[in-house]
Amino acid sequence: MLRWLLARLGRAAGAAWLIASLVFIGSRQLPGGPEQLALADASDLSRPATGTRATATQQAARQAVRQRLGLALPVFYVTRVAGHWHWHGPANQYHRWAVAALHGDLGVSYRDGQPVAVLLAQALRYTLPLAASAAGLATGLALALALYLARAPDSWGPRLLLSLLAGLQITPLFLLALSLLLLFANPEFLNLLPAENEAPAGGSSGQQAAYWLARTALPLLSLVLAVLPELTLPLVAGLRHEATTGYATTARAKGLTIRQLLRHHALPNAVIPLLTTLTDLLPALVVGTLVVEVLFALPGSGRLLAEAAAAHDYTLVVAGVLLSAMARLLGLLLADVLYFLVDPRLRSAA
Amino acid sequence: MKYFWLGSLLALLASACSTPPAKQASSPITARWARDPETLDPLALPNQSAYDAANLLHMGLLAIDYQSNAYAPALAQALPHPHLIGDSLTVLDYELRTAATWDDGHPVLATDVDFTLKLLHCPGLPNENSRAQYSFIRQVRIDSTNPRRFTLVCRGQGAEILTGSGDFSVLPEATLDPAHTLRRWPLATLQAWPASQAPPRAVTALVRRYQQANLARQPGNLPGCGPYRLATWDTNHQLRFRRKPHWWADKLRPAPPVLQARPQEVVFAVLPDDAAAALALRRHDVDVYPQVPARIFQQLQASPKARQELAFYTTPSYDILTAGFNTRRPALRDKRTRQALSRLFDPAGLLAATQLGQGSRTVGLLPPSSPFYNDSLPLPGLAPAQTVALLRQAGWQRRADGHWWQPGAAAPLALTVRYRAEEATFATTALQFQTAAAQVGIPITLLPAETSVLTTALQTGDFDVYIRLVKGSPFGFNFATFLHSNAIGSGNLTGFRQPVADRLLLAIPAEGNPRRKRLLLRRLQVVLQEEMPLLPLFFMPSRLAVSRQLRHVVPSGLKPGYAISALSWPATDTLRAGTP
Amino acid sequence: MIRRLTSFRPQPATWLALSWLALLVGVALLVPWLPLPYAPATPDLQHIATPPDWTSASPAHYLGTDSLGRDVLAGLLAGAQRLVLLTLPAVALATLVGALTGAAAGFWGNRQLRLPMATAGWALAAAWWALSLPSKAVLWLLVCVSLLLTLLAWRTARRGASYRRRYTFALPLDSLVLGATTLLGSVPRLILLVALAAGPPPTSVQFIGLLALLAWPEAARLVRGRMLWVRVQPFIEAARASGLPMGRIWWHHALPHACRPLLAFAPLSLAGLMGLESSLAFLGIGQGPDVVSWGSQLATLRHDSTAWWVAVFPGLGLLFTLLALQKTAAFARKNTDK
Repeated sequence: MLRWLLARLGRAAGAAWLIASLVFIGSRQLPGGPEQLALADASDLSRPATGTRATATQQAARQAVRQRLGLALPVFYVTRVAGHWHWHGPANQYHRWAVAALHGDLGVSYRDGQPVAVLLAQALRYTLPLAASAAGLATGLALALALYLARAPDSWGPRLLLSLLAGLQITPLFLLALSLLLLFANPEFLNLLPAENEAPAGGSSGQQAAYWLARTALPLLSLVLAVLPELTLPLVAGLRHEATTGYATTARAKGLTIRQLLRHHALPNAVIPLLTTLTDLLPALVVGTLVVEVLFALPGSGRLLAEAAAAHDYTLVVAGVLLSAMARLLGLLLADVLYFLVDPRLRSAA
Repeated sequence: MKYFWLGSLLALLASACSTPPAKQASSPITARWARDPETLDPLALPNQSAYDAANLLHMGLLAIDYQSNAYAPALAQALPHPHLIGDSLTVLDYELRTAATWDDGHPVLATDVDFTLKLLHCPGLPNENSRAQYSFIRQVRIDSTNPRRFTLVCRGQGAEILTGSGDFSVLPEATLDPAHTLRRWPLATLQAWPASQAPPRAVTALVRRYQQANLARQPGNLPGCGPYRLATWDTNHQLRFRRKPHWWADKLRPAPPVLQARPQEVVFAVLPDDAAAALALRRHDVDVYPQVPARIFQQLQASPKARQELAFYTTPSYDILTAGFNTRRPALRDKRTRQALSRLFDPAGLLAATQLGQGSRTVGLLPPSSPFYNDSLPLPGLAPAQTVALLRQAGWQRRADGHWWQPGAAAPLALTVRYRAEEATFATTALQFQTAAAQVGIPITLLPAETSVLTTALQTGDFDVYIRLVKGSPFGFNFATFLHSNAIGSGNLTGFRQPVADRLLLAIPAEGNPRRKRLLLRRLQVVLQEEMPLLPLFFMPSRLAVSRQLRHVVPSGLKPGYAISALSWPATDTLRAGTP
Repeated sequence: MIRRLTSFRPQPATWLALSWLALLVGVALLVPWLPLPYAPATPDLQHIATPPDWTSASPAHYLGTDSLGRDVLAGLLAGAQRLVLLTLPAVALATLVGALTGAAAGFWGNRQLRLPMATAGWALAAAWWALSLPSKAVLWLLVCVSLLLTLLAWRTARRGASYRRRYTFALPLDSLVLGATTLLGSVPRLILLVALAAGPPPTSVQFIGLLALLAWPEAARLVRGRMLWVRVQPFIEAARASGLPMGRIWWHHALPHACRPLLAFAPLSLAGLMGLESSLAFLGIGQGPDVVSWGSQLATLRHDSTAWWVAVFPGLGLLFTLLALQKTAAFARKNTDK
């Protein structure tokens, strides 16, 4: 078991490296680059670039920026030019990045020269707690709701709840977050967000915790509501199916209540899709949810990576992809381990 | 247990109904930024937020007075009088104020200005932006008798030479270069240093010291002579600036408007979403909301409670919504085709629909309020009948399928329109153009794109029509950066090439006589309307929404749209919570 | 209660669901011929973001206009057409591809599927030629080796299984499928979209392919997870013991059972794709304003948050479609659940 685990971890690390390398090379193939956004707009009359050698100056400036950022080197060890392959040796961008990454240095951001690891760590301080608590709350709520809904399907209460969940399912996340913002952070209706823009300085840890709780209540609620239907509805369907099988009839005949049947016997059989969906959410813990962070102005990793992608800040993007790929692969590993724990008959295909 | 939850829910609801706290005179003033400044390095100011921050931390020779929308002397004693030498050089005499000092008490001298200019051109620093902007300054001559007096020799002639020469932030020489190693090289040598040659060792040492100072995140390592210093910076969240207790300009009497800094603390909150920012303004999390979009402005004004608590200002700005044509494409080479297409835009309707009727239509690149505006030209408007007539004149024939064909062409007239995504104004304009063109039989493809993709496509000439904002200014009329044939490949996106226009574009900035300048500008507007490389639709308004309790609000058409250092809260004893 | 769950008389609710779906498909196909007062993506500059009105004399905006001046009713119908002609086929394609690949990966794992060696040789040769790698001699060598191996396999086709095993290799199907799904899932969707935004907007076929590409990994993983359970069931062992070839077992016996989670998944995946479209519109990437879909109508709410009519009608349409699909799926499940 341990050997299998280690082998899987090793393969996961290798796969994450491969994915990050693909993104590294792919990002350099895109048109445009960071040098365009670092330079001011040439036709901006409010800050005129006087002189008639404008074109040459602009192109020289762009080339100078590329040189400074290290983008003037060839991208990979081999490149294909006009149908022929050329060998460049170790003087290429990929080699430099790979050597630095193996030493633990993920590079510096093109926009402000700060180490990428520091930027990501700062952003993750906001995203990780939010996403982890949203996932935990949503799972607990999904299990409770599914057990309730599978018990009594034909009365109007559960049917209304199912319709509500379906309604939540089709509501896009930004619509959900926007409506919560308009309902609960609006002086016209209810205003539940704290008035200050940052934690009260010098307050006790209890006060700080209360402030952060109030500040993150609405984003947390929108994330939980967005993820809940995805977790609940397949589980309800699975539980209802399990309740029709032979062993369920036997259990009921032996005298178990429907509640005990569902919780102890049907749930382990029906929970596999839930585990799949849950481990799919693992990369979202790292990359965050852009929509929620933009609307609630949280400086999380989703916004950081989105702005980096838009500004062609390749180092940050590649580091983010590496992290997200590792999270994804760990999620897959976790899913296989959980499959095995839940149903020992399952042998993973490793 | 359930009473605990009920109680906390009630407490939460009760707190929701409380009124906002009264603002003390020392409360911070919070303004909204749409994006994080990313870097506070004074040599690389990539966006408007970084520029706002640099204006608080540093001071330049000249600064913008938002009351009059003109440059006023800041570190300089007075506006320099330009002396023209020959037909290509301008000489500007500057004298620094005697009161100007750095934080440690040392005076700001001409050697600091010289050092800053050399720093702007040092190879190896992130100064490519500044280098392109200030390379017109060729020489700094320091007066040997007066260490505060110096002369700048600039290449080029015109009003923007004066304003451009004073725009950069002056940095202290003593902190970065105490041994004065840079004094050995004249400015022109550093400007002309070839990229292939290794820079001198002193320059490399200076560059290394600069990079170690990490000015992008810690601008306090190179303190400027501005009124504020950076207190905290939470990336992507907020920045806090605190007023220096003893600033050199506090002693000046009378206090010039550009050297006023009233707020004790300034906070910038980074709120990327417009609707969320409007809600923050209503909740008094944010006190100043500049560049308000039209819809949100309308919604805020529609609420009576918001009208009581907020004050609204609209000023004309200098940004022009323009549609440009790619004159290099064979279909658009003939000016009559371009004129025909310009009759398919509806500036009046678009102004009413997207800008609530605020803003002003124009015939050229000048606002109607300008004395150089050519009022004898007709305003462009929607006229599909003229489109058909002009296309026929240009040789296009309409065939049975409804499309327009040139004789011998392989494909009918069909155009692609590029513009920046996420902007409702551009989207409405593009849609209106598409609808009007479809009625005449010209199929249009819309290609909204995000900024970097759009910039690449525009610069490589991969478009037929573009819709964008031309950012203008009241300082000078140098349109050569985007209309001159020399600028094809950098600022001239349309590929416009016309000898008459080229001569006019070069003559206008250099012309000093107002009457001759007026004639030249009128002539240029006539030529531009005739050739139609781009169609100016209208001037955009600049909208500002602030908390009503703020005093000394100076709305302006120039970015950022308000003067932050002039704002203040009223004194505490006259303020009651909730008083309108 | 259990008996009530297994009775499958079509209830009124199921008829309602089926008729809604029929109405949707009918409207979508008939849109080009419907007499609409306003064309779908044309802005009415005098009526920007006006509420629904039924009273004015001139052609009225029955459901109001959005913040770009486009008529909401026309947009609703155009969105329905886009849904039926693009998004539903994309969901179907994604589910199909996901089911097949996930079931194959779960059933055969990494060691069960054996292919003759010649396949590897031919694949390498084809890759070498396609990438136009330098040495032509290596290409000819690969072709010769593959020819030899094919000849050998043909000669030994009649011999026993032990002979065959010597000249075959195991295709690691599970790792390949998992690797593909991981690759698509690890790159944050955002980066993929920004990369796609750099190109021209996709045509209809490309759009269907794109949506299917983004949605198939989930289906594959669900089916693979279920298949891991199905293949250890007694009836599969019995089928193997009775001598049926593996392919037949997979297609006729294992696949239908492994696809059970898809009945609940497909409506969710449709909702997911609609959400993806509206998020794309929210982020400013994707189709221009002249292409109207229900997702993009929901996204215009961002510009003007008080215009409830722009979001309510497409939202209700989406809700009814989702509920209808769920009801139909439940009905289908009850029918096959004997």
